[in-house]
Amino acid sequence: MSDICCNALAMATVPIQEWCKPYDWKTALKNGTIFPSLNLEFYKAEQINNPSSAPTGQESALNEISEIGFAINDLTLYLDTHPDCPKGLSLLKELLEKRRTLLADYAAKYQPLTQLSMITGTPETNVYGWAEGPAPWEGGNV
Amino acid sequence: MWSYEKRLQYPVKITKTCPKTAQLIISQYGGPDGELSASMRYLAQRYSMPCKKVGGLLTDIGTEEINHMEIICSMVYQLTKNLTLEQAKTAGFDSYYIDHTAGLWPQAAAGVPFTALEFQSKGDALADLFEDLAAEQKARTVYDNLLRMIDEPEVREPLKFLRAREIVHFQRFGEALEMTKDKLDAKNFYYFNPEFDKAMAVKAK
Repeated sequence: MSDICCNALAMATVPIQEWCKPYDWKTALKNGTIFPSLNLEFYKAEQINNPSSAPTGQESALNEISEIGFAINDLTLYLDTHPDCPKGLSLLKELLEKRRTLLADYAAKYQPLTQLSMITGTPETNVYGWAEGPAPWEGGNV
Repeated sequence: MWSYEKRLQYPVKITKTCPKTAQLIISQYGGPDGELSASMRYLAQRYSMPCKKVGGLLTDIGTEEINHMEIICSMVYQLTKNLTLEQAKTAGFDSYYIDHTAGLWPQAAAGVPFTALEFQSKGDALADLFEDLAAEQKARTVYDNLLRMIDEPEVREPLKFLRAREIVHFQRFGEALEMTKDKLDAKNFYYFNPEFDKAMAVKAK
């Protein structure tokens, strides 16, 4: 930002984030951000690595959708304030492509998570399927 | 327009009933710095924001806060879904039980109902963005306090995720403040209100 902003009285300034190499998507979801520079821990919140047992096929498929979905969420907010960042934009496109495939595969194997995946994942079925499987708030999908 | 994706933003899998913990966490549903308040704040403020990119950011963060509300509600639900009458009586959950059984209702930890008085939409870009920056800090404090008080790992994991999001959102609102300052008179940021004094806002640009 301009020097004038920094010299002005009665005004606050927050530094603009610079691009940094993101975490892998599993680590990103665990830590609540894809950016190591924004991962500011709290001393009362210790790291716990994989407290639950190894996920099953369906659970691990849903976990992957959550990881990619979260990376898209966090990257979207970054791009909202950094619309001219080419690295961010190309990564977003890559992740959106991946998400589309994962959602289609999940719909084909289990149930649709979005209406769009009813045509990308299960175009031939006559089953509506929207109420199939557990509700998101039921905890896990097995 | 919104469309639903049938999953939580962060997985919640709580196996032990604990109405006491539910009663604390419910504050992030209907309390003063809760996720319902957060989503309504940002989604209300965005319409009149003078900087289009800031309106876009408010839409995206406001949307994420709805996801967070769903995470919190899922936690409260799972902590109370197998509640027995005896547990409700002894865990301090009895007064909530009388009015809501084990249904979800937006209230603060101390029982105060959700109210729109807990957030602001001021029609002034600087006032609104400073409210948003403060809101993220206050929500972080609530998550810090919950993490000090709750030991169960399956409850702590989503709380840690939500706490981290408050810090990321603070950073983004800070960047939104910088974008908004670019639209103002740098010698005096308070000379006009860009949401109301539109002719002056155009001139400054």
